[in-house]
Amino acid sequence: MIVVDVVFFVLDLAVLYSVYVILASSLNLEYGEAGLPNFAKAAFFAVGAFSVGALSVRLGAVFLGMALEGDFKLNSLRWAMSVSQSVARNPFLGLSIFIATLIVAALVGSVLGVLASYPALRLREDYLGMLLIAFSETIRIVARNYDPLVGGTFGAGVVDFLAWAGSPSREILLLFLSVVVAAIIWIVYYRLSASPFGRALRAMRDNELATESLGRNIVKLRMMAMMIGSAMASVAGVLYAYYVGTVNPDDFTTSKTFLITLMVIIGGSGNPYGPLVGPAVYLAFDRLIQFTKQRLILPFDPNYLSYIVLGVVLIIVVDRHPGGIVPEKPTLTLPRELRSLLRQRRVEETWNRQ
Amino acid sequence: MAMDLLVEAVVYGNLLSLLSIGLSLTLLTTRVSNFAHGDFATVGIYVAYTMSVLFGANPYLFLPFSFVGGLLLGFLVYRVVFEPLRGKASLVTLMIVSMALDFILRYSVQIYADVLQRSLGVYTRGIVFKDVNINLLGFTFPGLLVISSAVAWLFLLILYLFLYRTKVGIAMRAVIENPSLSEALGINVKRIYALSWMLAASFAGVAGVFLPFRITVNPDTGFSILLSIFAAVTLGGLKSLLGSIIGAYIIAFSETVGVYYLSQIGLSTAYRPAISFITLALVLLLYPRGLAGLWSKR
Repeated sequence: MIVVDVVFFVLDLAVLYSVYVILASSLNLEYGEAGLPNFAKAAFFAVGAFSVGALSVRLGAVFLGMALEGDFKLNSLRWAMSVSQSVARNPFLGLSIFIATLIVAALVGSVLGVLASYPALRLREDYLGMLLIAFSETIRIVARNYDPLVGGTFGAGVVDFLAWAGSPSREILLLFLSVVVAAIIWIVYYRLSASPFGRALRAMRDNELATESLGRNIVKLRMMAMMIGSAMASVAGVLYAYYVGTVNPDDFTTSKTFLITLMVIIGGSGNPYGPLVGPAVYLAFDRLIQFTKQRLILPFDPNYLSYIVLGVVLIIVVDRHPGGIVPEKPTLTLPRELRSLLRQRRVEETWNRQ
Repeated sequence: MAMDLLVEAVVYGNLLSLLSIGLSLTLLTTRVSNFAHGDFATVGIYVAYTMSVLFGANPYLFLPFSFVGGLLLGFLVYRVVFEPLRGKASLVTLMIVSMALDFILRYSVQIYADVLQRSLGVYTRGIVFKDVNINLLGFTFPGLLVISSAVAWLFLLILYLFLYRTKVGIAMRAVIENPSLSEALGINVKRIYALSWMLAASFAGVAGVFLPFRITVNPDTGFSILLSIFAAVTLGGLKSLLGSIIGAYIIAFSETVGVYYLSQIGLSTAYRPAISFITLALVLLLYPRGLAGLWSKR
């Protein structure tokens, strides 16, 4: 019994950590390195989850030649169960569903990311953030009310694509899968950040005009950053949806975006190690609070505390240690003093601009 | 029906104008796109609700307490959070700090609601306030319409007189125009900034008291109307107090009337928030100067 408990505890922690690492890496690429405050993160995360919610059951039915009669909203959970039963006998079916939804999610995410990069051409960075929040909430409201997509407020059932493995090897497989996907994505992000492309992104963030004058295409850089970042977030959504087993639009509110943003800043924006540290800090507090919850009797739900703690930590970090827990390391092509001077000048410019 | 819609729109407009004027005030002075602004309203709701439970009287009577609560909260928020960052943080960093502040305030109110529920044995979620009817000139009006209009317009009038007729108000406008020059001329910029946060939070607190007369409220109600406030301010041009008041009424009317038409053509009324999100997006994309661009040359 204890073994099963431990497996589930580790699974929960590992999957959530992987999902948050992917999301934080994607925001760090977009905001930390490219300077684009993509506060529609929750929506791109949702795109992945919605692809799973909308497609896993339907694809399964197509592969099986099963006819889906009736309302998606009312029947998707039941359909998901019957497809999962077939998957239990046919591992290949499960894997095809997983891979197909993963590809669709990454494609849709990157296309939407390219679209979302266009307003960045005209808008000041803080207005861009606001616009993307409005975009994100619009997607959520539509998903919430347009039932055929993911069943509206009822949510959608998700096929258990590992049903053939049986518990607990199913859980162990899921654990490894999410950790491996997160590791691959993080390594890709790390390599990108260290590549000339990453340097160009940071150059664009620090001084757009200078970057352009050195022959870099700003429009293309932004587009690439948003495209890669959004595809990453969608993949996180896919993992999350398969782990949770249902998809509910109300899981993807702007609060999720806030959470990811706080993790990125606390971890260290612009440093590839930041997205590993930020989610760890949050999950550590969260689990600590869960543990004490069982031992203390409090007159309130202690889950709220982890958000408050995270908020306080962020304010302290921004005030005392603005680079985050692992600050961005200087790119070695410019001396450190010159860089901080340039950055300070940029802040002063925005403050004095009317 | 048309009368009900009109009343609903005016009340909502009063609320939104009190909220959006505060948001644009802190945006103008300290340049914070404050995502915690809706939570100031939530604090106002819970101050009035706690008092009305304790003393068993109509929540309208406790408007002054929500106002004072807002003043204190605004002062605290500015002194503790934003003053240390003055001149140090970029615009997006300030935005992110306000996200953290939103988490702190929103979930503190959640905890407060839990504690209140345990200690007093009253419902602290899904709160509704009972309205009174007011007889005026032989007609009976819903109290919410009369009181919210009176309070909102009185506050806006006082703010106008403050900004244009008092020395401190003129100093505040000078600081908005040019902070470094005002500082060089001997204006205490920090104090002006603190004052703007106090005004913003107290206006929001007062607006919050009216919310439970309209809808059932929870600790996250303030957060859920945040984007409507932002839409009003953006429509007003993001740099104009007058613009955000007009923007607030336009958003209020289009949301109320829009939702009526949505239900007429068979779409769910739950699309209502999308009206303000889409307005926000369109204004930013097509005409970022907003309504203020119509009369201001800046």
